[in-house]
Amino acid sequence: MATALSPEDVESRLRARFGNDILAFEVQHGHPVATVSTERYRDVCRFLRDEPEFDCVYCDFTAGVDFGPERGFEVVTHLYSLTHRHNVRIKVQLTHEDPTCPTVSDLFPTSDWHERETREMFGIRFEGHPKPVKLLLSEPFEGQPLRKDFPLMSREAKPWPGLVEGEPEEDEE
Amino acid sequence: MGLITEKTALPKIQPVKFLLNWGRRYSLWVMNFGLACCAIELIATSTSKHDFIRLGVIPFAHGPRQADLLVVAGTLTDKMAPALKRVYDQIPDPKYVISFGSCSNCGGPYWDSYSVTKGVDQIVPVDVYVPGCPPRPEALLHGIVKLQEKIKDEDIQEKWASGHSAIS
Repeated sequence: MATALSPEDVESRLRARFGNDILAFEVQHGHPVATVSTERYRDVCRFLRDEPEFDCVYCDFTAGVDFGPERGFEVVTHLYSLTHRHNVRIKVQLTHEDPTCPTVSDLFPTSDWHERETREMFGIRFEGHPKPVKLLLSEPFEGQPLRKDFPLMSREAKPWPGLVEGEPEEDEE
Repeated sequence: MGLITEKTALPKIQPVKFLLNWGRRYSLWVMNFGLACCAIELIATSTSKHDFIRLGVIPFAHGPRQADLLVVAGTLTDKMAPALKRVYDQIPDPKYVISFGSCSNCGGPYWDSYSVTKGVDQIVPVDVYVPGCPPRPEALLHGIVKLQEKIKDEDIQEKWASGHSAIS
């Protein structure tokens, strides 16, 4: 009977295999989250897929996060094992100047469309992607709408009427 | 492409106008252009509890070429807009459009979105706007009654003479 690996086991196995290429490790909502170097991203994903102890054959999603110009982008790939029923999240950090990430769409067919969506929404290039074209946006659309610096034209004309995230709440009378 | 054009000989006799409009307003084949949660309210209006067939609205036309009334129910995105225009163009004249719900009226909660069309009246001419998010079936029934009032007073020849045409 297959058993799920605890986040601690995942960390020790990944660190033993990849050493300093595991840049950071944390546990979020009970799931192991490993930040890896861009160069070894594909190797880590392939290792998690092929190693019988992990057997993470299902890529749940690949997504992007924009943390602003200083911290740059993060590409998050969530892998799941159908036999062991455990999750592993892999993160890659990219700069705003050169947001290029290797593709894993040849390892996990599900990530194909996810990478296309991440590409159009954030402008992150996935090197080696077989069909890097828009997925959801209409063809004439310009810009990367989920970037923090993407201007929402309606809000330029009329500011957001409610509370803005990060601003102090005004005391009501 | 409709049956009634500006060349159709329709004498300006009140009984004829009354009869024509009476027939037209109580046999509105409706085309369901459901795009989001509003479509559920539209479908609910067509079922037994609210039952808009009693007002002469016939659900649902099998295609736009059989329809008289287009109900745009839900969030229209810029990517979907060409499809709406195409469906509208396929409906034979005379045709009417009800914009159902805040999203199709003006963008609604997606007023600042990068992908949502802020108002279907940018794409097709709208006869009746039904506000709400989503509006209750009663609101659509009221909108249909308002549309029927509009059709009742319509002079089809005047409508054509005034250069009635779709926004292109």
